[in-house]
Amino acid sequence: MKDFLNAIDTLTIHFTLAAVLMPLLAFIINISFPTKWNKVSGWVSTIAILTSAVLSAFVFAKVWNSHEVHQSQLWFTIGDTKVQAGILLNNLSVLMLLLVNLIALPVHIYSTAYMKDDESYNRYFAYLSFFCFSMLALVVADNLVLFYIFWELVGFSSYLLIGFWYKRHKAIVANKKAFIMNRIGDMGLLIAIIILFAQYHTFDIAQLFADKGLIFQSIIKNGVWTAPSAHLPAIWQYLACGGIFLGVAAKSAQFPLHTWLPDAMEGPTSISALIHAATMVAAGVFLLGRVYPMFNDAELTILAVIGCFTAFMAATIALTQNDLKRILAYSTISQLGFMIMAMGIGAYASSLFHLVTHAFFKCLLFLVAGIVIHQMAHIRDDNGLDIDPQNIQNMGGLRKKLPFTFAAALVGALALAALPLTSGFLSKDGILVQAFAWTENRNVVLRLVPIFAVLTSWLTVFYIARVIVKVFFGELRVAQLSPGLKIDVSDGGLLYKVPLFLLAACCFFPLFSLNPFSYDASWVYKGFPGISDDTGFAIVLPGVINIGGLLIIYFSYAIYTGKRANPFPQQGALFNLACNEWYFDDIYNKIIVKPLVILSRATFWFDRRVIDGFVSVLARAGIALSKLSSWFDRHIIDGFLNLLVAIVRGIGNFARRFQGGKVQYYLFSMLVVILILFILKTLV
Amino acid sequence: MISLTDFLVVSAVLFCIGLYMVVSKHNAIQILIGIELMLNAAILNLVAFGKYDLFNNAGQMFALFAIVLAAATTAVALAIILNVYRQYKTIDPGKVDQLKD
Repeated sequence: MKDFLNAIDTLTIHFTLAAVLMPLLAFIINISFPTKWNKVSGWVSTIAILTSAVLSAFVFAKVWNSHEVHQSQLWFTIGDTKVQAGILLNNLSVLMLLLVNLIALPVHIYSTAYMKDDESYNRYFAYLSFFCFSMLALVVADNLVLFYIFWELVGFSSYLLIGFWYKRHKAIVANKKAFIMNRIGDMGLLIAIIILFAQYHTFDIAQLFADKGLIFQSIIKNGVWTAPSAHLPAIWQYLACGGIFLGVAAKSAQFPLHTWLPDAMEGPTSISALIHAATMVAAGVFLLGRVYPMFNDAELTILAVIGCFTAFMAATIALTQNDLKRILAYSTISQLGFMIMAMGIGAYASSLFHLVTHAFFKCLLFLVAGIVIHQMAHIRDDNGLDIDPQNIQNMGGLRKKLPFTFAAALVGALALAALPLTSGFLSKDGILVQAFAWTENRNVVLRLVPIFAVLTSWLTVFYIARVIVKVFFGELRVAQLSPGLKIDVSDGGLLYKVPLFLLAACCFFPLFSLNPFSYDASWVYKGFPGISDDTGFAIVLPGVINIGGLLIIYFSYAIYTGKRANPFPQQGALFNLACNEWYFDDIYNKIIVKPLVILSRATFWFDRRVIDGFVSVLARAGIALSKLSSWFDRHIIDGFLNLLVAIVRGIGNFARRFQGGKVQYYLFSMLVVILILFILKTLV
Repeated sequence: MISLTDFLVVSAVLFCIGLYMVVSKHNAIQILIGIELMLNAAILNLVAFGKYDLFNNAGQMFALFAIVLAAATTAVALAIILNVYRQYKTIDPGKVDQLKD
């Protein structure tokens, strides 16, 4: 029986391995094919991800709420340390495995249509597959070193994809920014991994973070961090947590490392959908989920505060932006803030639940944004206008032109606004209720956290309602400004509609819970250890929040369709603060980027002038020396040899004359010789 | 009275003229003439010194032999010159410097 179970586990591991490697295979196929096979590459990637999705569904069914499956083999040995590499499947990783595939599949299908006119179609799908591979491998890795490798690969492949249109200057700047920001987080994670290894002498995630694992057994007492086999000063534990937080903040775009995400909108919209839903930004929350036992109460509180601050800040910024994708980007930051905050208040299950629901509706919203932007670009190109196709000020009235897209956007927006019957309602209310429950017995400042969370959720309702109303209701503002436009837009074919339909279906409650009003009835929530709430918040709070939400929706509909004057001033300190994204980029530019650039210029100058100068002085001295020795060589040594040669040649020439074949000359020489002999004889 | 010295002086002058001709002339016939002059200078010496041997007249005899032999060598030399001319179309010994095969 045991053997049989083991065999099943091995099969599961093989299926997981296949699911992870399929996109890699697609990547290899796509980069090795010549470009004339262009259109095939989209289907290669899509079929790979489809296979991967089917396999991961099987793995999910086997592992979810069953036992943990962990298999590994020796990877390498350094000294006495044996490092194992393998696959760890528990509820968290199979959920992520399935989620990544389920999000990536519609994105792939959508991309085959969305990118079909791009000249680098082939490269796009190669990168896309590589991105999926990195993320899938990340979620199943059982070892911190392996985890770190795929963590870097996720960052690197997102770098490739954000800078996919590398001929645009802005895309290059954006992907550089994303990469550098992520490097800061990577450094943090690396430091944390090294500290953990120093303390526990293992990289194995299962050993470290299991229920009764090494982390669980170690305590901090009197400034000493004691583990079963070693102890370190407590400061290292704080450093390790700080490092992990940096990693999470960089990947999941949390304050203070969030500024890369809005700029990352320079990539293709389908990539934004993938990055924002399931791959890149989810990695940070996933990491937090993996190493959750490490954080103690104080550190969790910091997490909660930072998450809440990020959520609130990003929501206020989203209120004032006019770029469709930028609003959605800030919305993502805000929702990720919710997840981090949920982790911080101990609502582990709610956080992951929100990650899952958010993945579907945010992916849906981005795909909708892609269609809208494409159609606006159509209008621009057909009429030769000079407008920004992403600016929502130019849109309006698109619900008649794009009915299907409108329906999908509405579903996504309702889920984001967390109205009842949607999946967003379940997960977000879970977080809010538990946030209120958490603040009991805590001080006044921490009581602000849930209040700000509620405020943020109302802000969310407002900004998403603003987007929907501005884009889909009223009249097309471009057409009002310049009448007589030729407007020929449509929802697009099945390749657009099927992914939207799939994702929209996943935005409703039945997929997650049979009871549309109770988050704790949801299977995702039940799959993870959560905190029980026996407070009254669960009954009152959702009602209050949603009534407020509905009022806000009506209010913003009235404002933005022009039925009512806009009561908000469009200038002033607060508006400027939000509109300029809280001046984070300016501050970073002033405080970090500028001094860094100056320092780099200075070192460049130093390098160019001083070091290169020294080197060139050396070079000149060398040249002078070699000229001298060349002169010496030419004139003295060669001169001596030339002299020898001249002497020999002279003798030779002289002697040659006697051998000219001229008889009389021989005779004459003979005569001279005899005469000389006689003369000498006379003289001597 | 003609003394021995006078004979020797004439002989020496003859020899020098012959030697000069042999060394400087560009014509094989003239060189041959030079050789004859030198030979005659030698024969003159033989005859002049022959007065010290009045009984056997060895000097005179030797001169006769030498004259005969000189005639023979001259004939041979002329034959060579003829052949040389046939071969090289010239009898300037300065230009005939290809004695190899």
